[in-house]
Formats: sequence, structure tokens, C-alpha cells
Amino acid sequence: MSLDVREVLNIPDSGPRPAKKQKTAAPRTNLKGLAREVQSLGGDNPIAIVPEVSVFKKRRFGSRKPAAKWELRRFTNSARGDSGALVLQHWRRMHEDVSHSEDQMQDVLSQADQSAEGGQEKIEAPEDSTFAKFNVQVVVPQYSEDQYNSNLQNDDWTKDETDYLLEMVKELDLRWPVIWDRYEYLPKGPPAGDLDGADNTAVIPVPKSRTMEDLKARYYEVAAKMMAVQKPAQYMTKPEFDLYEMMANFDADEERKRKEFAINTMGRSKDEAREEESLLLEIKRILARTERFTEERRELYQRLDYPHTDQDISIYKSSQGLQTLLQTLMNVDKSKKRKSLAEGVAGPTPTSAGFAAGQAPHQSSDGPGNRRESIAASATGHLRRDSLVSATPATPADATPTSAADKKKKGNAAQFERRKLSEQEETIYGVSHHDRLTSGPTFRYEKINKLYSHKSGQQQLRITNLLTELDVPSRLIMPTAAVTSQFELLWAAVTTLVDLRKVSDKVDAEIKLEEALPGSSGAHKRSASVMSATSDKSSKRQKK
Amino acid sequence: MAPPSGAGKRVKGIQIARPFIYGTTARPFDPKTNPKPAGVPDDHTHSWTVFVKGIDDTDITYWLRRVQFKLHESIPNHVRMVEAPEPGKPFEVHETGWGEFEITIKLYYATESSEKPQTLYHFLKLHPFARNEEEKEALARNGNGEVISWTYEEQLFNEPFEPEGGVLERSAMIPLANRPGQPFSRETELLEIKKLRDAQAKIQDMVEKLQVELKEKEERLRVMRAEAVAAGGKA
Repeated sequence: MSLDVREVLNIPDSGPRPAKKQKTAAPRTNLKGLAREVQSLGGDNPIAIVPEVSVFKKRRFGSRKPAAKWELRRFTNSARGDSGALVLQHWRRMHEDVSHSEDQMQDVLSQADQSAEGGQEKIEAPEDSTFAKFNVQVVVPQYSEDQYNSNLQNDDWTKDETDYLLEMVKELDLRWPVIWDRYEYLPKGPPAGDLDGADNTAVIPVPKSRTMEDLKARYYEVAAKMMAVQKPAQYMTKPEFDLYEMMANFDADEERKRKEFAINTMGRSKDEAREEESLLLEIKRILARTERFTEERRELYQRLDYPHTDQDISIYKSSQGLQTLLQTLMNVDKSKKRKSLAEGVAGPTPTSAGFAAGQAPHQSSDGPGNRRESIAASATGHLRRDSLVSATPATPADATPTSAADKKKKGNAAQFERRKLSEQEETIYGVSHHDRLTSGPTFRYEKINKLYSHKSGQQQLRITNLLTELDVPSRLIMPTAAVTSQFELLWAAVTTLVDLRKVSDKVDAEIKLEEALPGSSGAHKRSASVMSATSDKSSKRQKK
Repeated sequence: MAPPSGAGKRVKGIQIARPFIYGTTARPFDPKTNPKPAGVPDDHTHSWTVFVKGIDDTDITYWLRRVQFKLHESIPNHVRMVEAPEPGKPFEVHETGWGEFEITIKLYYATESSEKPQTLYHFLKLHPFARNEEEKEALARNGNGEVISWTYEEQLFNEPFEPEGGVLERSAMIPLANRPGQPFSRETELLEIKKLRDAQAKIQDMVEKLQVELKEKEERLRVMRAEAVAAGGKA
């Protein structure tokens, strides 16, 4: 309810209300006159009549700003390259800072006449067109004669033609279709002097026809090589390197194929397109089906390929015997949490039957009950073995070991042994074989740390000094297997050298001692013993 | 996947290697390129990141479950545990600070591998260090003010437990060539091997020379001794 009504009816203001009202009142404040009265009749719930009519008119007259001023301004376009010879005019909005009064308007309007008179200072500096910045020049690689000879030689392209190509590229701003269209390279004929004797028509060389891909390939080749010459690849920044790599990897054949393919695709009729699509769908369906089909077939093989046994199976021929067998199998099955039998086609051999039987816990006693069990166990042994053997590619379909299933199995050592990786695979998967290993995870560099820690402090210092002298970094940059083994060789050499130096120093000291004490028998005795020790050491070292 | 019952048996004589990179990247605060975020104490001069990641950003989460970064005690909450990020993303911790210190990096392996965690140490580097002019130049060329201290390392699983944690199914290849921001590759490896080989040749040279010298000296010493004995005999 509006305040007016409240006052009339003498209703006191209740606490929280005014706050609320202020909120709702806010958007209404700009209403005037009758509209406001009508609106306030509605009280707190505003009525649906929206006095909108006034908005249009109001806006028009509401902003009482003066009309924007425009002026006819002269401009040049630096992209024309005629150093401002051509001066044109266009209407531009006048700047705010031009704080002239109304008569400026007249000024502007009569600008045309004034400029004709040439009396004004504005004429002296016509502004440059805003579009001039779009006149971008292509940066074409530059090369000197020497650089061309050392880097850019090509049997198919003469230097002249390469120059011509780069000229075209520059002139036509890398617009390849246009370049290809205009490309008319005429190889220079022999000098005019030679023309006299020969038949003129014979010596006019036939211009080679170049495809767009030829042109592109040559240009990119030149550009990439010059880029690499100016800045070796490892110092390039990321965008530069990307560009370089893209240009260096340009494959004209691939490009040609792509275009051919695109032409074919665009040139086909609606029916052809539809047919192609349906064929693709068909292929997908067939592929999906073959997968299921091979799966089924494998399972079938699996079933057909039942394990043979050379043991007596007559006890299972009765229905009761079969029942027992089933029971045993089920028990074993349960305990193994149902291994997948789907893969593994390798048929067990009689020897494997023996092996499996040997694995079974009860095999020694000859009692019929035990025997029955042992056969059952051997049968399950086969099944288990099947799954173990599965990793060896028995059939082409099985050639790729299904990793997921493999991982689920907790096989024994035999499983791993069977799964031989080729040498190449071993490098890919980072697997290597060693005679002696301490199990557990380690780091490659630890080995080198150990080399250091096995030496005394003095020796460590000597060795590190030597290595720094040789400019070997204090930590290997890439401690891969190859690098570490190389480092170990170096290490052996360095330790030999350090030890040798030690011996040599000792001998030096001996000599000095001998020189200092000529003929002293006591000194001689002592030094002799030291001598023998040192020679021992050196001989040991030589053996290494 | 459940761990193998009773941790299984170790496969004898097998070693599986996985390359990875760990290290720090630091950037000094700069109003223009690296503005200091709000809430960073005034005396902090650098923002830095410590990370463990696969080479060429390959996935390593299949063998590395989580990483614990132990930072300096003065940093609030200084033991940071980072769980496996999405494949291809590094295990990393971002921090700001002013001082260099040693970070203890503890690697926890995938549960299937049943291996105990291992520890690495890395020294946080905030200030570039160049041994000679050439390196200084290389640093300057690097340009963006990043101080990089990256270490290439190979994780070796010696005699892994049998189901080998699925590690075998993944490649451990090293990229063939360097790219910007990826300095470790076959190229670098070959360069290093060559360097080591050269160094070895030099050492070999020195050893041979020294051996000859030593022989001469020993000979001389023998002669001198003989003379001394002779002189002694005479006396």
C-alpha cells in the first residue's frame, strides 16, 4: 500500500515494511506525472500496466547532447607506395580535443573549398589510412651465393629458378594458387653470341612445368634450411621450432594425394556418396561380427581340444563315476575363482599330463579312490596348464597375448619363462636380464653413487677433480643403461689412473729419499720393503 | 586388481627399467611476467614447482601410485602427498619462497608391484648457475627467466613379482630427438656416450704414459739402490 493511502487511513508504519518498499520503489522513481499516480495506486504489488510509450520519445529528446560532428579529412595510404602523391578525402568523426565553437562546423563543411585553395595548415599532414597496416609484406628467406652453394643445391632447380620462385612468392604474398598461375620461368638460353650460328628455334629451352606442390616443396625446403642456418634447431623457441618442423616435413606427394582425394570426394555424385557410406557401415558390421565369430570359434576349439590322458578312465564311464568327476572339477573350479578358459589353445601333450599329475598333491598311492582323484587332478592340471601356456602364440589368432587376462593369472615362474620377448620388444619395454640382482626397486643412478661411496674421501676428491678436468658433468645427464655402462668403463680407467699416480708419487718419494741418503743401509732396507709393496700393487693393477 | 597372494615369487634375473624426470622449475617474481599473487609474503622472491613426471609427458601412473614431497620445515604443511594425477600430467607441488633447500621425494609404487617406497633427493635451485661463459649464454638464451633443474632418472624394478604389475605392457622408449622444453632423448644420450668415450680415451692415454714413466722411475730407483748397496759394500 502506498504511503499516501496509509496516511489517509491513519495506519502506522509497521517495522520491516519500509525497507521492503524501498526496494520495490527503486525502479519506479523515474515515472512522472499521471503514470506515477497510476502506478502508486497498485501499492506494494505493482500493477501490470507498463507505461512504456514514453520511452521512445524520451530517449530521443532526453539526451540533450549536441549532434556528433564530422569532418571531411584528407588522408593518404602509405601502402600505395607512391609516397603520398595521391590524397583522398573521407568523412571522419571529429576529435573531442578539437574544441572549436559552432563555426567550426561551417569550417568543416567548407573544407573542400579551402583545401582547393591550399591555404590551411591541415593539408600539410594528411593522416595515413587505418587500412595501411594491413599491407603486410611477406618475409622471404634471403641467401647469399655461398649459402646457396653450401645448403640449397638441388638437381631439379637452378639458382636462377629458385631466385625467380622467391621473387614470385614475395610479389604475390605467398598466395600459392596465384603464384602457380603466374609462374612462367624461362630458363636463360645460352649467350646471344652462340645464337648466331645455330638454328634459333632449337636452342630455346622448354620451360619446365611445375605443379603447385613442386613450387611449395622447393620454397619450404629453402625456407626451412635458411631458418636452420640462421638459428640451430635446438635454440629455436617453440613457435619457431613448430614452423621449422612443419616446413621441413612438407611432403609434396602427400599433398598431391590429399588434393586428388579431395577432388574425388567432391566430384562424386549423391548416389555414390550414399553408397560409400552404406559400404562403410557394412564394413563396420562385418568387423564387429568377425570378432565375435573368432571368439566363438576359439571357444569351440577349446572344447574340442580336450585333454588326453593315458591313465585308466574306465572308472568314469559309469554315471556315478562321472558324478564324482564333476564334483571334483567343480570344487577345483571354485577354489580357483574360475579362470578364463577362453584363451589358450595349445593342446596338452602326454608329457604334460605326467607333469600335471606330478603337480597334483595325491599321486603316490595306488588305491582306487586316490587314483580317481589323481586323474581328476591331472585333468584340472591340464586346464590350468592351458591357461598358463596361453601366452605362447599357439595360433595366429592368439599371437597377441591378451594382457588383461594375463595379468589376472597368478601363474608360476614357468609362465614368465614361456613368455619370451624378442630383443626388440625388450628394448621397447625396458626389460633386461642379469645374473645377479638385489631384488626391489632402485634407481639407475644409484649404481654410480655406489661407485663413489666405495672410495675413500681422498680418492673421491681426486677422481672428481679428474672428471671435472675432462669436463664430465658431476651428474650424468641421462643415466640410461648405455650411458652408465660407459661411465663405468671411464670410472675404471680413472681409478687406475688415480692409483697409478699414487704409486708414481711414492716412487718419486723413494728416489728423493735415496738421493738424500746415499749409501745409508738403514734407509735402503726400509725403502726396499716399501718398494716391494708398491710394485705388488702396480702389478695387480696391470692385471686389470 | 588384488595384489598377488602372499606377494608371489620374484622373477629371477629380470630387470625392468622405466625412465622418468624429476626436478624443479623456478621463476623469479616479476611485476610483468610473473606477478606475485596476493597473500604471498613480501620476502618471497620466487615461485617454483617440484615435479615427478614421465619422459615426454608419458603416463607413469601405472607404476607410480603417489609421491610424497617433503619440503623445508618452515613451509606450512611441509609434507605434501600427491596422488596419481590423470595420465600424462606430472606429480607436482607449486610453492613460493626465497631459499634453496633439499627436497625429499618419496615414490610409492603401484600396489600390484608390492614394492616398498623409495626416496630421491633433489636440491631446489632458484638461482641460475653457469660454470663458464658458454653456459651463461645458453641461460640467457633460454630467456623467460626460468631456472631449470631437471634430472633424468630411470626407475629399475629388479626381479619384479610375477604379475609384474602390468609394467611390461607399456613402452619405455626415449624420444629420438630433442624438442624445446624436452632436453632428454636418444640424441642427448648418444652425445653423452661420446663424451664419456672421449674422456675415457684421454684417461687411457694418460694411464699409458704414466705407466711408461713409472717403469722408468722404478728402473732408476733399482739402479740407484744397486749403487747404494755397492757403495755400502765398499764402505
